[in-house]
Amino acid sequence: MSDQLEKIKDLCVRGKRVELLAELKTALAAGIEAKTLMTDALIPAMSVIGEKYSKGEYFLPHMMLGARAMSEAMEAIKSELSKGTYERKAKAVVGTVAGDFHDIGKNIVKLMLEGGGYEVIDLGVDVSPERFVEAVKNESPRFVMLSALITLTMESMRGTIEALSSAGLRGQVLIGVGGAPVTQKFADEIGADFYSQDAYGCVEKCNQLLR
Amino acid sequence: MKPKERVMTALMRGQPDQVPWVENEVEEQLQIRIMGGRTDYTPGELCRALGMDGFGYHFPTGGAGSASQALQTSKSIKEAFYFPKKITFDFVPPWIADMGVEPGGRTYVKRGLLTDRDSLKLFDEFLPDPDHPARYEQVAKWIEQYREDYAVYARIRLGTASTIESIGLDVFSLMMFDDPDLVKEIHRRFSEWTVRVIENLNKLDLDFYWANDDHADTKMPWVNMEMYEEFFKPYQKMVADAIRKPWAFHSDGNIFPILDGLVSLGMNAIHPIQPSAMDIARMKREYGSKVCLIGNIDLDYTLTLGTPEEVDKEVKERIEVAGKGGGYIISSANSLTDYCKTENVWAMSKAVKKYGKY
Repeated sequence: MSDQLEKIKDLCVRGKRVELLAELKTALAAGIEAKTLMTDALIPAMSVIGEKYSKGEYFLPHMMLGARAMSEAMEAIKSELSKGTYERKAKAVVGTVAGDFHDIGKNIVKLMLEGGGYEVIDLGVDVSPERFVEAVKNESPRFVMLSALITLTMESMRGTIEALSSAGLRGQVLIGVGGAPVTQKFADEIGADFYSQDAYGCVEKCNQLLR
Repeated sequence: MKPKERVMTALMRGQPDQVPWVENEVEEQLQIRIMGGRTDYTPGELCRALGMDGFGYHFPTGGAGSASQALQTSKSIKEAFYFPKKITFDFVPPWIADMGVEPGGRTYVKRGLLTDRDSLKLFDEFLPDPDHPARYEQVAKWIEQYREDYAVYARIRLGTASTIESIGLDVFSLMMFDDPDLVKEIHRRFSEWTVRVIENLNKLDLDFYWANDDHADTKMPWVNMEMYEEFFKPYQKMVADAIRKPWAFHSDGNIFPILDGLVSLGMNAIHPIQPSAMDIARMKREYGSKVCLIGNIDLDYTLTLGTPEEVDKEVKERIEVAGKGGGYIISSANSLTDYCKTENVWAMSKAVKKYGKY
């Protein structure tokens, strides 16, 4: 990796957004393609952030800081990216399930997925099974991510998966579940494809499933 | 031993005659189910029905349901604080937030409102006068009327949960880097409010306080030790220093990475030791000589989705692991929510009696 790309990656890992944006501008002016910046600096930066979080070296604020820098960097090079051949890894539909109004966890997953190179359609909170079905029909995502904060609303995850099955869409998507009361055991019981305890783990699981 | 003596002995890490049971909260709809549909019972009657040894929180007794926090204006929040219509022992500040109400009546924070310096003026709009005498006079009467032989506690906040919820966890995470002084200013204001509340509460015949301040999710705390020491501890210490009674500290999630910092505040107990996030055997081994342990009966599955047999088994196991030598108060790993299965709450009641004798 060139020194310039290494510097961009490092600035993103440390969440130094002002310096990062300046460095991206310099790199583009020097003829480095936006796609290269994305695949060789920014997405690897999010992996480093995620690994640091997994190891307990980074805490939520550090992860959020890096994700914000990443998000602003992507915005800054968006027009250049669209001129080239860069494609997102996959599309994911995310939402907090019916009856549950908590969105912090879901929002953090969204940020991390976007930073990890995914296109994310956010359906918001209290999303009915029917709205998930509709979104899968309209958006044809590879992933559907279901979030719930309280035990009471975990059952809506089961209902959503059943609704996707009834609509004949289950085989088209990989379903991930997460949230404070959710466990691997529960994910297995309701027939989800994967569970993750935290937002970066979710990105890693998606990456593994795409391999 | 009388229930109060049992609780206070365990809080001081002693061994009572049996493992005491106290909950941080029993939600009102569950209370009513336990009491066979009645709403006119006293706190002591609920304790006797279940075999619990103390109470705080709030009860439906004494008035019709009032508007939830989300439906109140800042003026009515203050009025409800000064002149509570139903029995309550809560002294927590309102969230400075845009609140929503779920169809079942449970409230939730839609969005924190303390997002910039200009929003600091909302403190005056939302926070009641902590020295207004009316609530303290009323609660003093309720304590006298209802305490019987039970341990009575008041719920408070050190100010950390108020800070995080009123900013919003995502905004708070970035604000620590963008405007660290604003985070500190917000925490200081909430903690100073609680200090004044505590100075009033210290004069009441309460047995202990229960400080509710979430710091973590099931994986880890939201801040590392360095951030904890810089952003939270100085203000938490202001509250801890004002406290003149035993106190318990509550945070959901895994607080192990900052627990040494927290324990140095000098609380008597840690709650709820969420089983999906913290190992109670490790807690007992590493912190059992410093604090009483409260909680660890799983709310994510056992009490809410499990069977009475599973509850019985879990209570037995917890008492074996955490009850050894005293210093353990059994409790759910948060509170008894209204979505706990009623039969599981009864199973917990029976199991505590069955396995709790020393």
